[in-house]
Amino acid sequence: MTSFRPTEYFRPQCIEEAVKSLIDFGETARAIAGGTDLMVEKPPFVNCLVDLTNLNLGYVDKEGDGIKIGALTKISGLEESPVLQQGPYSAIAAAARSIGSPGIRNMATLGGNLCNGVPSADMPPVLIALDGKARIFGSQGTRTVPLGDFFKDARKTALKHDEILLDIFIPAPPAHTGADFQKIGRTAVDLALVNVGVRVTCDGEGHCEESVIVLGAVAPTPMRAVKAEEVLKGKKITEALIEKAAISASAEVLPIDDVRASAEYRRELVVHLTKNALKNANEMALRKGGEKK
Amino acid sequence: MKSVPITLIINGERHDLDVKPFWTLLYVIRDKLGLTGTKMGCSSGECGACTVHVDGKAINSCLMLAAQADGKKITTIEGLEKDDKLHPLQQAFVDHFAVQCGYCTSGVILSAKALLDKNPNPNEQEVREAIKGNLCRCTGYVKIVEAVLASTKEGGELR
Repeated sequence: MTSFRPTEYFRPQCIEEAVKSLIDFGETARAIAGGTDLMVEKPPFVNCLVDLTNLNLGYVDKEGDGIKIGALTKISGLEESPVLQQGPYSAIAAAARSIGSPGIRNMATLGGNLCNGVPSADMPPVLIALDGKARIFGSQGTRTVPLGDFFKDARKTALKHDEILLDIFIPAPPAHTGADFQKIGRTAVDLALVNVGVRVTCDGEGHCEESVIVLGAVAPTPMRAVKAEEVLKGKKITEALIEKAAISASAEVLPIDDVRASAEYRRELVVHLTKNALKNANEMALRKGGEKK
Repeated sequence: MKSVPITLIINGERHDLDVKPFWTLLYVIRDKLGLTGTKMGCSSGECGACTVHVDGKAINSCLMLAAQADGKKITTIEGLEKDDKLHPLQQAFVDHFAVQCGYCTSGVILSAKALLDKNPNPNEQEVREAIKGNLCRCTGYVKIVEAVLASTKEGGELR
């Protein structure tokens, strides 16, 4: 096995310069931010490291009615951000809090968690459920990709080699919206066996207008349980209906057996986690009337 | 191979170094500067033995490139002692027998110190959360948690 021995290191001060370095060094260049994936994987083909940490992309700010979260925001920054402590956005902070250890969360970034395309990543499900959009910069300019279309396969995203994720935009959730994140890992710091992010939007009387249920670690990419969403649509949300939706979700997913858990066990977890997430999101939607439009 | 010139402020002392692009902060601290109180365990961010503070935050130095620490203030276990006196947290580890083989200790203390710097009177749950990235295979954590709580201003108790 050849070892990880990059011979070049750049710390660009602007995004144009970063993209240029990625192009100049071609496929042997890799962007690095927190390093908590790359420095574990240590891919031997990497010859050039393009350090993104000086790009001023660490922020959680309001933008219009919604919010934007910079790709270089640390996971610990998401946990602590005052913008993410209440209402549906609090599911984002909950997902962040569930990741690794405090030391890892002080290094790892939102961009890394998304762009590495790891099937068990904890940030994608809630961000997809909240209709997040990835804003991407590359040599062809800036483009926007809905996060639901961002993940193409295990470790493959919509990001091209000469592109860098700028931030995630999340529109204001409609009135009467709740969101939640649930996860089970083998130990307190292990990757998710299954994770789920949900959003429930109700009318004034507790009927489900729209729901998004996104499951992680049960398919090559984060996966929407569309049949389960159909179960809820237009109906008055009850415990029995939530149970039905959760069972439907577990029939839809495509988990694998691996060192962490069997596919069968993962399907069982999907039922319980989806149920809890829907219950919490629905309560939030009813209790607070969700975020103001 | 290119070298990257960097400056590290470690325990208040300035070090100007030329580092290779793939050197980790841990490697530089131990092998280039001889500060061997910081330990190398798993080299993959699982065990926390390499925990140091970078600009006041606990991080795993095995996963950070030395080049990425350029210009940053770093605290290692050697930086806690003042005027030949152990830091109260270190003294608490001694007093409460929170050290057995000692390999995890410096990492645990730096993780705990990061918590106490932010929250001087944590409860047991908060202490356990702060050190959950630090593996200790000897103590079972009880003595460690006792020591951290005892070192706080109010000398919190296990619940």
